[in-house]
Amino acid sequence: MAIARFAGAALLLAGAMAGPASAQTGTPSDNVPTASVPSDKATPPTAAAPPDDGNWVMPAKNYASTRYSEQDQINATNVHDLQVAFTFSTGIDRGHEAAPLVVGGTMYIVTPFPNRLFALDLTKPGAPVKWSFDPKPAASAQGVACCDYVNRGAAFADGRLFFNTLDSQTIAVEAETGHELWRTQLGDINKGETMTMAPLVVKGKVLVGNSGGEFGVRGWLTALDAATGKIAWKAYSTGPDADVLIGPDYQPFYDKERSTNLGMSSWPPDAWTIGGGTVWGWISYDPELNLIYHGTANPGPWNPEQRPGDNKWTGGIFARNPDTGQARWFYQVVPHDLYDHDAVNELLLLDLPVNGTLRKTVVRPERNGYVYVLDRATGEVLSADPYAAINSSAGVDLKTGELTMVEAKAPKMGKVVRDICPTAPGSKDWNPSAFSPRTGLIYIPHMNLCMDWQSAEANYIAGTPYIGAEVRMFAGPGGNRGELSAWDPLKRAKAWSVKEDLPLWSGALATAGDLLFYGTMEGWFKALDARTGEELWRFKAGSGIIGQPIAYRGPDGREYIAVLSGVGGWAGAVVVGDLDPRDSSAASGWANAVADLKQKTTKGGMLYVFALPQRR
Amino acid sequence: MKRAGGLATAALTAAALTVLLTGCEGVQSALDPAGHQAGRIAGLWWLFLGVLTVIYLLVLAGLLIAAIRPRRRGRLHQGPAFAKEPPIERRLTRGLTAWAVGTGVIILTLTGLSYAVDRDVLGLTGRAELEIEVTAKQWWWQVKYNDPVPSRSFETANEIRLPVGVPVRVVLKSQDVIHSFWVPNLHGKTDLIPGRVNETTLTADREGRFRGQCAEFCGFQHANMALDVLAMPRDRFDAWRAAQLSSAPAPGDALQEQGRQVFLSSACVMCHTIHGTSAASRVGPDLTHVAGRLSLAAGTLPYNKGNLAGWIADPQRIKPGTRMPVTGLSPDQLQGVVAYLDSLK
Amino acid sequence: MSSPFHSAVRTALLAIPLAGLGLAACDREDREPRGAPVGDSGPAAITQGSLYAGEPSPPRPSHREYENNAYHLSQGKQLYTSFNCNTCHANGGGGIGPALMDDKWIYGGTLDNIYATIVQGRPNGMPSFRNKIPEQQVWQLAAYVRSLSGQTPKAASPSRNDTLNAKPAEQRMPKEEPKGSSPGGPNLEGRQ
Repeated sequence: MAIARFAGAALLLAGAMAGPASAQTGTPSDNVPTASVPSDKATPPTAAAPPDDGNWVMPAKNYASTRYSEQDQINATNVHDLQVAFTFSTGIDRGHEAAPLVVGGTMYIVTPFPNRLFALDLTKPGAPVKWSFDPKPAASAQGVACCDYVNRGAAFADGRLFFNTLDSQTIAVEAETGHELWRTQLGDINKGETMTMAPLVVKGKVLVGNSGGEFGVRGWLTALDAATGKIAWKAYSTGPDADVLIGPDYQPFYDKERSTNLGMSSWPPDAWTIGGGTVWGWISYDPELNLIYHGTANPGPWNPEQRPGDNKWTGGIFARNPDTGQARWFYQVVPHDLYDHDAVNELLLLDLPVNGTLRKTVVRPERNGYVYVLDRATGEVLSADPYAAINSSAGVDLKTGELTMVEAKAPKMGKVVRDICPTAPGSKDWNPSAFSPRTGLIYIPHMNLCMDWQSAEANYIAGTPYIGAEVRMFAGPGGNRGELSAWDPLKRAKAWSVKEDLPLWSGALATAGDLLFYGTMEGWFKALDARTGEELWRFKAGSGIIGQPIAYRGPDGREYIAVLSGVGGWAGAVVVGDLDPRDSSAASGWANAVADLKQKTTKGGMLYVFALPQRR
Repeated sequence: MKRAGGLATAALTAAALTVLLTGCEGVQSALDPAGHQAGRIAGLWWLFLGVLTVIYLLVLAGLLIAAIRPRRRGRLHQGPAFAKEPPIERRLTRGLTAWAVGTGVIILTLTGLSYAVDRDVLGLTGRAELEIEVTAKQWWWQVKYNDPVPSRSFETANEIRLPVGVPVRVVLKSQDVIHSFWVPNLHGKTDLIPGRVNETTLTADREGRFRGQCAEFCGFQHANMALDVLAMPRDRFDAWRAAQLSSAPAPGDALQEQGRQVFLSSACVMCHTIHGTSAASRVGPDLTHVAGRLSLAAGTLPYNKGNLAGWIADPQRIKPGTRMPVTGLSPDQLQGVVAYLDSLK
Repeated sequence: MSSPFHSAVRTALLAIPLAGLGLAACDREDREPRGAPVGDSGPAAITQGSLYAGEPSPPRPSHREYENNAYHLSQGKQLYTSFNCNTCHANGGGGIGPALMDDKWIYGGTLDNIYATIVQGRPNGMPSFRNKIPEQQVWQLAAYVRSLSGQTPKAASPSRNDTLNAKPAEQRMPKEEPKGSSPGGPNLEGRQ
């Protein structure tokens, strides 16, 4: 397979060299020969995306984060028959952002705070509870969770489940019995540290990072020994190089990322100690290059005037050696972030023909509205194209990798800067995209919102938020607040898109049946034709959907689609927190964007599992 | 008798003038310039004073002459008056024309001169080597020393230190109401307006300590919103700057340690910053090097340990309405906090 | 009856209460920078439910010196931002913490209840500000929190916003009438 691809690449390279010089410029996809060699389309590396065994062991499905299932029983012709197979109430009414996991006939669900873990026996009718585990996290942690008390899922490896609790513990549980194996306290809620991300297990190490960029915490990613829970390494996102694990291996592509102790010198004195850069998003792993990829979140506080400088190493992407944590490269997506643009979205590992050459890339639909394509071996920016309405920046210089900001939209103290697109949660927040190698498209669930912003002096008081901005969000151009875009990474353009009234806060799932699944915040769970975007099926769940759908092969050999409903998250805070949308700055501006949500849905967590009717 | 009265008046006037002129000297006087801009402004002021005094005296003299000169009756009202212009009429016309032209020339010259001085004073802006950002708050001054390398920037309060002979750009902001930044010995006034960024440039020509003052009524404690400006030789300034960049020193004894703990666990931490500790709020002044400052509470009290204790114990008596509250520390706690803060040189 | 003397007396009689009213209005602006202690605010003073053993306790005296005073309310408004209340509760609409401008009070809506909530903290995430905010500032904050839902006199409530103007100023907010609550007693809708 690798050889075949290499040959294809060589062929392509030769073709491009033989072609006119203009083939190197412009839209490369127009010039790439459309021969049927495997490398003329995007594919995830096989090592990171092995063939589907019917299980779903990590929220991103695989190390390449494609969220693509090879199950194809449910397809465009029969999806209209899809019906509920069973449901399960989690008994918790906060935002359910997690992906269920399925391993060998058992489904595992981790709920929002209080982070209960359920194992459902799929071999029995109705999938009864096999065991449940209550970690009993500290209730006060709810006060330092910026955006609802969510949890984005557990991870399974070697008969163990790993998950994080809101009060900053990582816990390992025996998957068969639900017995606790170890728990490690990693953060202090009195400093505002929480944990909401889904761990990733790589080579016997559990990778977890903290949340709390709105509380003046210092971000980190740490690797725990999967057997014992002991810290193997810890990489901070700010501070001296020794803390950031920047050493001799560090070879960034751009010179501006190369200097000693930038994590201190690019901040006002001491500001890096409360500077954010948390690691609450997604991690991908390339076994061939032996590199993990993770983002770092926004610098704190939001008010940029309080932290002159580039604020390294926040708002960027790190490639690290998973064994030692040592950084290989770093690219700062948003130096001196102006808008709370965490760079922690999903990182899809794809091998892409770029300008006629097959490149090992990492693709990310970024919060600032661009789809970034980076060389995942070097950190070079190969392209960055807008997928949503943007007026706060004017594109990325591919020579320097620098994002050009629009001065008129830059926040200023004492001034309301109006109509900034995209907003603080970005064109797209944490909710992950999916990639189908069959269609070659990346399905991006995103938003179409703009905002007014006023900066104010932020006061750091440990245990309280450290923000310094008032925001009010509203629908962007066109009036639709959400959109699902199918992005063609070769043409660097949208193949099709579907407009949604409400912002999309759920993940996407692509299947080999050429279907695309996602949910809306009012509770519709939808199946689209992955090639055309035509809606084929929809189901109304009890509460809004902000979870991540999955597909698996049940013990009976049939294909199932599962998703958690239960509105919430930052976007759904107006419902779960019973906020008052008469205050347009409530929920950091979200209340204004979804002021109608309280009339459209109510809270409550419920698992829905769908299947085709059984033939008798 | 008349003579004696005149003498007395003259003596009194002289004495008053002396007093007035000595008033021109001092830490807060536009007539005792210590900087290029203030010098030009003062020069212009003296020129205006001179020219206008001469004119004033001329006018007074004219009035006096007109008042005491015996009237030559009838002359102007004789016969067909304007049949032939009498010489006196011609003289009057010429005199008035000359007076008007003279006035115009003087006004134009003075206007031109003030324009030139303005240009000169503003022309310095581009050559600043140092940038200081001053944010006015009710009722104190936040002072940030900016640097292209962010980690070499630092913050202080109610005190500006400048190297002698170096143009310093002062960026002026306000966070609540309109204030005005005025260090008379160095420059004229510039307003600080919420939502706007103003700029001025200061250049100190000689060493010295000067007093700046808010010059736009800004509320209850407007009068007690002052700042100290210290012009110092370059080497001493650089040493001071390097010291400001360091974090607060660790407590040196048990009392200071106790004070530090009180500081971090009481109301102090809600408003103040001390670098090197977890205190990083920005409601009140940065206290990292508070003991090295010349005054307390925006020029209200000279800095010393006793004043510091008094200020913390009851700020509302010293500066009623200040945002610093009565924190209700016990005497023991107060003693510790004062010992700790006094160690932050 | 209609003699000049009588009419003068009438005018005088009318003028006295009018002057009194005028002077009373001065309370609105009275600046008491130290703030007056308002008595017992310990746990014993606070009722957290609306169910009593025996006859209901008499309502607590309302602390008019804070709620009716524009100076204290505007100080409270400034402190609400300075002490990061707004970063959780927004301009009353809520966010990380619950809304403060609606008719629901999880832990009670009287000045005492709010004082207690600020000082003691609450188990589901409200931090305790014990020893961190001087007593009179807590009262100012508590009074301001009540102004968010229009519980304070319009004449005293803050009349303008300094920032984004995310919602009308407190003075223009309609008064919310908490349902099912009695003096000192909160609405018992719990929080998960």
